[in-house]
Amino acid sequence: MTTSRERVRLALQHKEADRVPLDLGASAVTGMQVDTVYGLRQGLGLDRPGTPIRVIEPYQMLGEIGPDLMGALGVDVVGLGKPANMFGFRNEGWKSWTTFAGTPVLVPEGFNTEPEPNGDILMYPEGDKSVPASGRLPKGGFYFDSIVRQPPIDDGSLNVEDNLEEFGPISDEDLQYLQREAERLYAETDKAILANFGGTAFGDIALVPGPWLKHPRGIRDIEEWYVSTATRRDYVYRIFERQCEMGLENLERIHQVVGNKVAAVFVTGTDFGAQHGPFISPKAYRDLYKPFHLQVNNWIHQHTPWKSFIHSCGSVRALIPDFIDAGFDILNPVQCSAAGMVPCELKKEFGERITFWGGGVDTQHTLPFGTPDEVRKEVCERLKTFGPGGGFVFNTIHNVQVRVPIENVLAMYETVRDCGRYPLR
Amino acid sequence: MSIFEELQQAIIDGKAPVAKELTERGLKEGIKPHEFFPKAIIPAMDEVGRRMRDCEFFIPEVLIAARAARGATDILRPLLLGEESIKPAGTVVIGTVKGDLHDIGKNIVAMMLESAGFRIVDLGVDVSPEKIVDAVKQQNANFVALSALLTTTMVNMKAIIEALVAAGLRDKVKVLVGGAPLTDAWAHSIGADGYGKDAPGAVELARRLVSAA
Repeated sequence: MTTSRERVRLALQHKEADRVPLDLGASAVTGMQVDTVYGLRQGLGLDRPGTPIRVIEPYQMLGEIGPDLMGALGVDVVGLGKPANMFGFRNEGWKSWTTFAGTPVLVPEGFNTEPEPNGDILMYPEGDKSVPASGRLPKGGFYFDSIVRQPPIDDGSLNVEDNLEEFGPISDEDLQYLQREAERLYAETDKAILANFGGTAFGDIALVPGPWLKHPRGIRDIEEWYVSTATRRDYVYRIFERQCEMGLENLERIHQVVGNKVAAVFVTGTDFGAQHGPFISPKAYRDLYKPFHLQVNNWIHQHTPWKSFIHSCGSVRALIPDFIDAGFDILNPVQCSAAGMVPCELKKEFGERITFWGGGVDTQHTLPFGTPDEVRKEVCERLKTFGPGGGFVFNTIHNVQVRVPIENVLAMYETVRDCGRYPLR
Repeated sequence: MSIFEELQQAIIDGKAPVAKELTERGLKEGIKPHEFFPKAIIPAMDEVGRRMRDCEFFIPEVLIAARAARGATDILRPLLLGEESIKPAGTVVIGTVKGDLHDIGKNIVAMMLESAGFRIVDLGVDVSPEKIVDAVKQQNANFVALSALLTTTMVNMKAIIEALVAAGLRDKVKVLVGGAPLTDAWAHSIGADGYGKDAPGAVELARRLVSAA
């Protein structure tokens, strides 16, 4: 019988295994919001009503995809990452909490919140309430957003080091953790490992405000950052240069401890696409980002068997040739609902050179608002479009969000199971 | 090159300090505040919109140009209040809907509408139906522009339209909606007057609705 690891390996080599491999929850952009995980587990009869779900990523409130759920759905990939989450605390010391939707959940002990008079909930870096809050969950909302803590910017005294606080050498403690976790996941599961070591995403806007930092310095405001990529281009370039140097040094040390157990590495989650076109011009991508993507990917390909994974939402068709040229092997989330991201055209044009990890169903329209039959039809079409010849790992487009009907989620995974066998018909 | 042409160029190039300096110089030379809009700011932002549509400008360039335009309008707006003959093209109450904290797209739309001569009342993010209704009453607005980035929050637009109906204000305002997960069909299904695919699209739509009124 083909193992999950072998199934993913073949897919990444653009070969057909026994079926299309499936990812759910191996990264912070291929998972599921915790309220939906609760509903799915209830729907599958895995838990008694009221059984709480662990929140394994507090920023986006992602739920844990445990071994039993993986088994029930046929998930083939597990995630490996550093121990601290987006708010800088570890996922340990679990305590009870309830979401605005009323779902019972367990959150880490560092998940220390404070209500605002208007009912919003504030979150603190490293769970430390003695410093200003770094995250806000609006009343009735489902996700935290960063609270921008932007010190006044004086162009005369801007120092690249201020924007590099988060990119130091990896600690021995984190290295040992990665080593232990990689060994555990490799020995205890037959899944392929998708690793996110951090530090190699250049200008990821979710990370720019540094929600895990107690006193962020440099440019931390979202709009100011986007503007700076053009008006302070040299400053941003120098940040990326230093970040890249440190990122490569860390990759070398990490490779020494996790070795070849990792199948693919999540290099960057910087979004280059908006709904109707790229966020930036291909020229700007080549000038500011591609040189560093090339360095990281070249190092990976020269020293490891890892495949290189890029996540970019939105309409990025105009940039895909550059992504391939920069050495990326895997594209995620393949947002087919964005302009120009037509599945059959993407497969035809780029399918031999890059693996599509995502694109399995439209999470902006069909999955949340369609009927189970519409979900089945679309998932089946996507399997037949992206699947032939391998080069496809099934995943939704980004995380499965809250308020998605559970019957639609079930219909999606049933269809992956029923229609995802090779040869695809 | 006339001062208006220079100002247009400064806005398109995103040079905020130059745009401010030219505006101040023009005022000193006796140009009336309202003249800057049809002769420099509106055509400049129309050109920015065209370049965005034609993929010559992307988000950073649009943000920089909009900031330069705002540099000029911040100087002119207080002076316009003294010119009673000048009426804005319309008053727009704008905001990102309840539960949603994303504002870059909404800010670009607000800046482009402002540069097109509309008066903007920006309520920010996470805006409740009640807040929209109050602002429409207090500001005597004739447009409501709503933004949402998330599939989980776009549904809150419907509650706002229902609140406008309940307050007896629905016929008084045109409701424009926009945001990544929205479609034209969905906008119509919730009873909005129009869907702006992008910022230039929102300006075009607002202008069309003004001329149809």
